[in-house]
Amino acid sequence: MRQGRARVFLVAPLLLMTLFLVGCPKRPATTAASAVAPAPSAAVVPSPPATGGGTGAAPMPGPSAAAPSGPATAPGTPPSPSEFSANPALKDVYFDFDKYDIRPADAKILDENAGWLKRNDTLVLIEGHCDERGTNEYNLALGERRAKATMNYLVSQGIQANRITIISYGEERPVCTEKAESCYAKNRHAHFLVKAR
Amino acid sequence: MRPARPLMIALAAALVFALGAALTGPPPARSQTGADVLLNVIGGGAKKLNIFVPEFTMRAGADPQGLGKRLAEVAGADLTFSAVFSVVGGAPPLPADDAEATKKAWTDAAAAGAHAALHGLLALRGDRAELEMRLYNLTSPDLALIASKKFEVPVAEARRLAHKTADEIVLQFTGEPGVADTRIAFVSARARAKELILMDYDGNAPSALTSNQSINLSPAWSPDARSLAFTSYMRGYPYLYRLFAFEQRPVQLLAGYLGINSSPAWSPDGRSVALTLSKDGNPEIYLLTLATGAFRRLTTHPGIDTEPTWAPTGRQIAFVSDRAGPPQIFIMDAEGANVRRLTQSGFNTQPRWSPKGDTIAYTSRQGLHDLWAVSPDGSNLRQLTSGSGDNESASWAPNGRHLVFHSSRLRGSALFTMLADGSEQKPLPRGEGQATSPAWSPRLP
Repeated sequence: MRQGRARVFLVAPLLLMTLFLVGCPKRPATTAASAVAPAPSAAVVPSPPATGGGTGAAPMPGPSAAAPSGPATAPGTPPSPSEFSANPALKDVYFDFDKYDIRPADAKILDENAGWLKRNDTLVLIEGHCDERGTNEYNLALGERRAKATMNYLVSQGIQANRITIISYGEERPVCTEKAESCYAKNRHAHFLVKAR
Repeated sequence: MRPARPLMIALAAALVFALGAALTGPPPARSQTGADVLLNVIGGGAKKLNIFVPEFTMRAGADPQGLGKRLAEVAGADLTFSAVFSVVGGAPPLPADDAEATKKAWTDAAAAGAHAALHGLLALRGDRAELEMRLYNLTSPDLALIASKKFEVPVAEARRLAHKTADEIVLQFTGEPGVADTRIAFVSARARAKELILMDYDGNAPSALTSNQSINLSPAWSPDARSLAFTSYMRGYPYLYRLFAFEQRPVQLLAGYLGINSSPAWSPDGRSVALTLSKDGNPEIYLLTLATGAFRRLTTHPGIDTEPTWAPTGRQIAFVSDRAGPPQIFIMDAEGANVRRLTQSGFNTQPRWSPKGDTIAYTSRQGLHDLWAVSPDGSNLRQLTSGSGDNESASWAPNGRHLVFHSSRLRGSALFTMLADGSEQKPLPRGEGQATSPAWSPRLP
């Protein structure tokens, strides 16, 4: 008898915990095999953690989103970049060549952007961009660092990380295409887009 | 047919042979392989082997498109590209079964300086095209047959007959097949879209691999030459996908994490893909095992780590990191251990490990971008391009003797090829749009 009771006491919290975990939307999603991958040798769908490793945004699309022609329907997927739009109140910040630290003058701009974001409860997409010097793959990584550094600054100013999504375009979306430093400088920037919650 | 020895061994042996011959007189006569012929010709002081390629003879079927002439020209261009041969072409076809006429043609060609001759015999039957190649040694008194082989393909792919023939001839003379029967994938920029294009190695027959009006980047061939991994914004964010180049199969998502999913590089055994993910805070290199979908992190550093490239042994990976300031090339074990720095100064990206294993090509930025090469131990540093716009994004041919890259030396960006020592830089035919990021396929199945 006593033994049986003890077991109930042990099991009950486990059940509660299980219910909690199942109900929690942030529970890491273990994805099944891809719906679109008939390849016997390469039926591949990654199984990432859902919490985004501190980037504060939502996780990758699940298996239902693996078909590239279909919509990104998995819960927690960040909104498509096309759902965000520019807002004149949010100003770009710029970077030195091959650098991703926030320059002092740009910190003031980010302070103002943070102030606007505190008054306007929107989602924000930060694009990281590079000039054409350096090479495509490295610049994709560099643009990621620029967007991340910008995001980190906003978070340090009190903007919730889960409002922010970042995307690197590397050198793929220049605003200016002349081969001159004046043009390169314009392309080394972080750009802000917003979306209503 | 005895497999011939590699060209370099043959050249070294030629010197020894020439010295020995000067002391002891000519060796006893025997049936010569292609390697013997090349060895003698190069040992005799010639830079290239002269090969006579008359138009191919029609053996069966009508030839309204002039394939006999065109395929001989394609094979001739392939042999010229190999940099082993100097081609003498433009002669009318030989009669189909006329030993006397053939012997006279070879005798005349030999007298004019040809060392070898290719006789192509083409048969067109319905939608099939068949080519028999016969390769002759014109340096032997009996004009001996070195090799003969038949290839058959759908008539729509008839150019492959010429490519396969050229690759076989390169094999006969150098010990390794040529690379004519390969493809090149690349990125073509038009307006705001970047699409992936596939074409023959010589620029012929370009066709679209993607048409999603988005940004598609960094094509990387699987070792079996069936599929390409690439980064695409087709779903908004830069995810990594796989497409099948020659099959009607849907595109597969390989990695769709938050942040970048970029810079794919297939392991030599084809079982995994090294790639860059920033999901854990900053760009790091991971290994995706295709059979399980499992990701394993290889680098751990707060800086940028990206652009993995595999040693052909599969035991090491070179990559780019900014951990020491401007980006440099580093090498690590395939498990991520034993990181060491390869390049010491400047701004160096895009490492590409040669399929022969002895060279890593990369892009160095010193004002302009140029291609350099270095041995994996840091020795033998040399500059491959210079003084002509930006030269970037090298990709090795499967024999490690040629590179394709993109250059802005002419107006806009276009693809060029060169030999591994930087010589013979030549543009590929230009299509529409800006061509960048070429990926030379492995040999096709």
